[in-house]
Amino acid sequence: MGEILEVFLAFLRFGVLSFGGGMANLPEMARVIIGNDWVTRQEFADGFALGQFVPGPNMLAVLFYGLSAAGLGGAMAAGLGMFLPGAVGAMLLVRGWEWMSQAQWSRALRKALVPISMGLSASMVLVLVQLSVESLLWGVGVLLATFLIYRGVSVVIVIAGGGLLGLLTGLL
Amino acid sequence: MKVPLGKLFSAFVHIGLVAFGGGGNAQLYQAIVLRRHWMEEREFLETTALCRILPGPVFANTAAHIGMRLGGVVGGILALLGVLTPGAILMLLLSFAYFRFGAVPGSLAESALDGVAAAAIGLILATMIRQAPIALDSLKAMGLALVVFVTYGLLHWQLLLVLLLTVPAGMGLYWQEAAKKSFTEPANNRSGQEMGADSRG
Repeated sequence: MGEILEVFLAFLRFGVLSFGGGMANLPEMARVIIGNDWVTRQEFADGFALGQFVPGPNMLAVLFYGLSAAGLGGAMAAGLGMFLPGAVGAMLLVRGWEWMSQAQWSRALRKALVPISMGLSASMVLVLVQLSVESLLWGVGVLLATFLIYRGVSVVIVIAGGGLLGLLTGLL
Repeated sequence: MKVPLGKLFSAFVHIGLVAFGGGGNAQLYQAIVLRRHWMEEREFLETTALCRILPGPVFANTAAHIGMRLGGVVGGILALLGVLTPGAILMLLLSFAYFRFGAVPGSLAESALDGVAAAAIGLILATMIRQAPIALDSLKAMGLALVVFVTYGLLHWQLLLVLLLTVPAGMGLYWQEAAKKSFTEPANNRSGQEMGADSRG
């Protein structure tokens, strides 16, 4: 039980401190999780890769680390700690929304955040391309997927198609 | 807009099932704005932008926020559980397999993952292209987005530093415009007339 609490508190801290999404916080997570001997270096990297593989937030990787640290209870504790602070804050924002829309500063903030957010998205795409587009083939694949989704082809079909195409290149 | 909780939960589970490779917000946009028309485009953009400055995974935060707007507190919790559950179950199964057998799925799974990743990046790009006319509707908006991309994306400045510089600067740029009432006001008709009177004249 003490171990599970320890896991919860560690991930709660990551959850509270990780501004700008989970990715930015990764070096700090690696330091603490590996330092506590919850996973080895190799396991840390493999857990992160699994987080990329499963649907949903990449930060579901914390379940892997929690499981390794303290079993199923540890996985639950890690997930709660990581996702709860932001979600509670996001839900409180709904209550604050109307109060905030009365104030000029908050309307200015909301307007300013839209283009800033576009800049962050563009930065994220750049990082993702650098991390996962290793060949010209997949560069073309990205452009093709962009075109198809923009033209209204179902997202599920395009993603499944990408997976099948990848499987084919693996077989050849 | 209020949505029945059953419909809301199944919509978010579906989003959680298909949101691969960091494309979560793009999936939310497809499902909530384009397919179901539960939110207006600009309202969605402002919501996701605001949820970005909260700590924690942006996609999960945005889902909880939108869920609560569409279905109250219960809606928010269901939305969060919805986007997490499919991935969490798969993650736990894969983790058990990993610690039991000591290896990630073989190279075949990894090449499939390459294709999924490419499609996921395509999804984010397509969404950005779609949103650009509204999000980047003025010279100052384009400038602000460009500064963020250059400092954060290209020069790898600390995110906190980038936000500390660009958020106040952006608020300054939009200060005058923000004097008008926003569309999200409940009393839309009245404020709309006031807005027409003082800004369009």
